[in-house]
Amino acid sequence: MPKIILVKDLVKEFSKRRAVNGISLEVEEGEIFGLIGPNGAGKTTTLRIIATIIKPTSGQVMVCGKDVAREASEVRRLISYLPEEAGAYQNLTGLEYLRFMASFYYGTEDEVKAALEEGIRISALGERLKEKSSAYSKGMKRRLQLARALMVKPKLAILDEPTSGLDVTHAFQLRRLIKEYAEKNRITVLLSSHNMLEVEKMCDRVAFINEGKVVESGHPDQLISKHGAETLEEAFMRVVGFA
Amino acid sequence: MPSGLRLLVIKEIKDLLRDPKILVGIIIFPALLLPLMGAAISVSTGSTIEKAYGNLSIYVVDDDGGPLSQRLLEYFNANYVEIRQLAGPPESSLGLLSGGDVLLHIPEGFSSNITGGNWSGVVMYINFKDFSMVEFIKSGRVDQILNSFDTELVRQIVSEEVPGKDPNSILNPIRQDYRSIVKGEAFRLSPAVLQTTVQMQTLMGPIVIMLVLILAMQIAATSIAIEKEAKTLETLLTVPVSRMSILFGKLAGSVTVALMATVANVFAFTYYIGAVLGSTGAATGDLGEAGLKLIPSPEGYLILGLSIFGALISALAIALTLGTLAQDVRGAQSIIGIVIVPVFLPAIFMMMGDLSALPQAMQILLYLIPFTYPALASQALITGNYGMSLIGLAYMAFFTLAMLYIAAKIFSSERIMTARISFKAKKAD
Repeated sequence: MPKIILVKDLVKEFSKRRAVNGISLEVEEGEIFGLIGPNGAGKTTTLRIIATIIKPTSGQVMVCGKDVAREASEVRRLISYLPEEAGAYQNLTGLEYLRFMASFYYGTEDEVKAALEEGIRISALGERLKEKSSAYSKGMKRRLQLARALMVKPKLAILDEPTSGLDVTHAFQLRRLIKEYAEKNRITVLLSSHNMLEVEKMCDRVAFINEGKVVESGHPDQLISKHGAETLEEAFMRVVGFA
Repeated sequence: MPSGLRLLVIKEIKDLLRDPKILVGIIIFPALLLPLMGAAISVSTGSTIEKAYGNLSIYVVDDDGGPLSQRLLEYFNANYVEIRQLAGPPESSLGLLSGGDVLLHIPEGFSSNITGGNWSGVVMYINFKDFSMVEFIKSGRVDQILNSFDTELVRQIVSEEVPGKDPNSILNPIRQDYRSIVKGEAFRLSPAVLQTTVQMQTLMGPIVIMLVLILAMQIAATSIAIEKEAKTLETLLTVPVSRMSILFGKLAGSVTVALMATVANVFAFTYYIGAVLGSTGAATGDLGEAGLKLIPSPEGYLILGLSIFGALISALAIALTLGTLAQDVRGAQSIIGIVIVPVFLPAIFMMMGDLSALPQAMQILLYLIPFTYPALASQALITGNYGMSLIGLAYMAFFTLAMLYIAAKIFSSERIMTARISFKAKKAD
């Protein structure tokens, strides 16, 4: 399997604080890979580096063989990033927003239209897409953002807390949508979450991150049995020494 | 234009123009405010003068009944003032007076005292109800007619006492005459007449320009902060478009809206000046008679337009640069709250006095502020001294480029995401 993500000895420092302290991981094509860890563990910083928003202090990060620091513009053609609690432009309609974002990825109007149709289908917002996004509920905004991230069929979708702040029903629908869409289109997904159950159900492999380091990684079932736990949450707590 | 930049510019303009705060705040508000103020000045001045001068009548208690009191009343009649005679003590008739009404009491002995070579008093009772301009103008007009009658009497007495001499030469041996020099040419005008016209024209320009600049800065700075808060900037930084395109898209969008605001302002200002000049007809009439035309030239309006536009671009460049450093809308607003002080300064100095009369250090400071130049250009509309305004255009271009260079440096680095000027606690991970 070709490697979509290769992270080696990644370090990121902000002033006097080391947010990421030597993370290494690999993600293969078509995998759904989850980063699990408490607040401040370095998940979002790692995702932002892979998404080319910020640069590593040291170490190497490659996406489809491209260096995120040196070849950022090539990497941006291959990825799609969904920040935690991302919003859309308040004065644009959902449809205008999807068209605006799709237009950056495609050269012809036909390609943009095809992506837009995909976005309309994924979002399942129907006629509401003609309304300004300021009128959307939190769940609708998240569906719009997910549609935006997936409609361009990226090689790698980076999703930071994709179901953050959603109720059980919306979160369930969104998880199913991500899994089905990724499998169908062979999209590699790198996601972060606090929700262990979510990760256990969705991810092919996971990495436990604590204090800026990967402390364990593997298939959820393997990790559960390796640490004699009943759930992934329990396995994580044992690994970080709280259980 | 590269397609990414074009997309960003279109999005920016759409997003800005659909925001009611922007549409109303920087385009519709100034476009309506100045013409409305001009119309208000024109209408209220016109109607006040009409009301004060039309059909003026006064109450008179004539306790003298002599030839001079009769002559005084005829003099009032000849000046289109209707006389309503009353009897009894004047104090008992004060209840009849409405706002602005005048009661003139001519005492007994008025005629005999004056013809006997002594003075005599008259008493004017003026009822002030709401202290309006009409009330003051009415009493002023009665006063003026009384003074005029007094002068006529003096002339008569002087010509009787010194026959064969012009009484005016004896009464006013020194006569003042004025030559007001404007744009190097001398005009036979008193400074007082000139002041009335010029002050009304130059006062409002800097105030409105200042308001537009402050609004534009707030819009540009908060537009980046809003993108940071809503995480739309974080998303935009990961799509296949250069960071310079994002910065210039934002600038071009803001510039387009600022340009619309400038056009609205210049048109509004043109209308305002027209309305104000029309309402001060008496003064401008004197100006016209003296051969002085203070109607601004098309070049003057062009330089004013360019100066406002230049100042707007400078303001947007500052706001965008500072906006990149703010983490949220509150932070951006706080930064702009501090930065608007230099926007206020030139307008205040220009309204209160003369720039050249200030200490040299203060002058240099004001010339370093790009927002001084639109205020100078609005003054130059009247004075025709465009020299500093033209230098200002070049300076504003340099200032804007320097600011954009700093903004580009911040945008192309990760500081756009990691900069922290905020009043909220920093959010970890």
